[in-house]
Amino acid sequence: MDLEAKPAPNRTPLQPKDYKSDLKPIWCPGCGDFGVLQALYRALSAIGREPHEIAFISGIGCSSRIPGYTTAYGFNSVHGRALPIAQGVKLARPELLVVVAGGDGDGFSIGGGHVAHAIRRNIDLTYLVMDNQVYGLTKGQLSPTAPKGLHTVTSPFGSLEEPINPLLYVLAYGAGFVAQATPADMPGMAALIEEALRYPGFSFVNIQSPCVTFGEEEQQLRAHKAKMKPLASLGHDAANQLAALDLARAYGKELYTGVFYRNPAPPPTYDALVQARQAELIKTRRPRERALDAYLQK
Amino acid sequence: MTATKGIEFGRLTLRDGLDLAISIEEEARDRYRDFAEQLTLHRTVEAANFFSRMARIEEIHRSRLAERRQALFPGEVSREIRAQVFDVEAPEFDAVRVFMSVEQALKTALAAEEKAYDFFARAIPQLENAEVRALFTELRDEEVEHQALVKQEMARLSGDPSANAEAYGDDPVAQ
Repeated sequence: MDLEAKPAPNRTPLQPKDYKSDLKPIWCPGCGDFGVLQALYRALSAIGREPHEIAFISGIGCSSRIPGYTTAYGFNSVHGRALPIAQGVKLARPELLVVVAGGDGDGFSIGGGHVAHAIRRNIDLTYLVMDNQVYGLTKGQLSPTAPKGLHTVTSPFGSLEEPINPLLYVLAYGAGFVAQATPADMPGMAALIEEALRYPGFSFVNIQSPCVTFGEEEQQLRAHKAKMKPLASLGHDAANQLAALDLARAYGKELYTGVFYRNPAPPPTYDALVQARQAELIKTRRPRERALDAYLQK
Repeated sequence: MTATKGIEFGRLTLRDGLDLAISIEEEARDRYRDFAEQLTLHRTVEAANFFSRMARIEEIHRSRLAERRQALFPGEVSREIRAQVFDVEAPEFDAVRVFMSVEQALKTALAAEEKAYDFFARAIPQLENAEVRALFTELRDEEVEHQALVKQEMARLSGDPSANAEAYGDDPVAQ
């Protein structure tokens, strides 16, 4: 699908503010998700699709409130089920730009089983995970990406679990576009989201979005600014999947930003295959009044 | 410069320079408005009121620059620079906290004014157009005046216990 901005004749190009709804975010003041939202507005404006051509699907969590803060269609659904719903939306309305937003708990714990299937089907979705390594909405419990040893209310003596590595997870299942961003570099994040939205297939952006209330000091924007390393500056070739896997192993230790992997030859998407199958089958479709013939013996 | 994306300072014309300056003020205005909204929602009224005031001040700066641009280049379409500007004079996204004091809010504003000064000071040597250099020098010097105003307000409140962080609620705790 062509995502290039095509403003109608005499129509002013859409500005970031055109995607901003009247609903005021209720995130904690200073939350990293404010930065993500700004970057998202900018990315959508760069793509130029009308709000009614876009659908935001989310699960439950602080970051899952994003659909309400945009002028696009939105569905703030049930915990961990954003991806199955988004897949249904995309198959039913393939012309929509479908964006899935949520947190690391929603995506990799409650909804963890759905990620692999969305990737292997390669449905044309963009999945934005706001990874803050904590369950912020429910006041600071251990989340699937929380580092080992972290003290929280549910791990008062320090977590004994290894965290999930979201980058390795999605790369291992074959995601065609995998990137990581931080609100500490908003222009970079906006560019990455834009690139993910343009990618024809399942695209994933892990956004290190600090929880200012329950997050650790070393996970705040100030620390991000000091430690982030743009992959472009390391000379990483985003077409090299093995190199991407190797770099992704450093999740939790290094803060790499940029595109880890972009499939240089994206395969057909599931939604495109479904449309092709439908077009093929429609030729031999029985008329409606003969539909029951399939179940009757002649 | 990380605060701007893809802007070649050496090639800026006076019209571009004014568009850039307008975008910088606009971004700061919007950020302060966002802060005021966030803090109002979270019952941090005193700091919210201060940030609303800052938003009004930034709007005055923006409108003055816009009028100047209109007088110099009437009818000419603005270059869309806003998307290329990031946190030049706007405080950083995570600079606010629930129950922050007015004293902390003033420090946030002062840091933003200092950042803006640094931006113009770093940009000036890269400029080739003399008119843009004069404009940026003027804007850099204005940032010094703004810093002085914030410091003056800080001094005024220094003896006021209600402006101090101790007078405010504790941060939320995990449960």
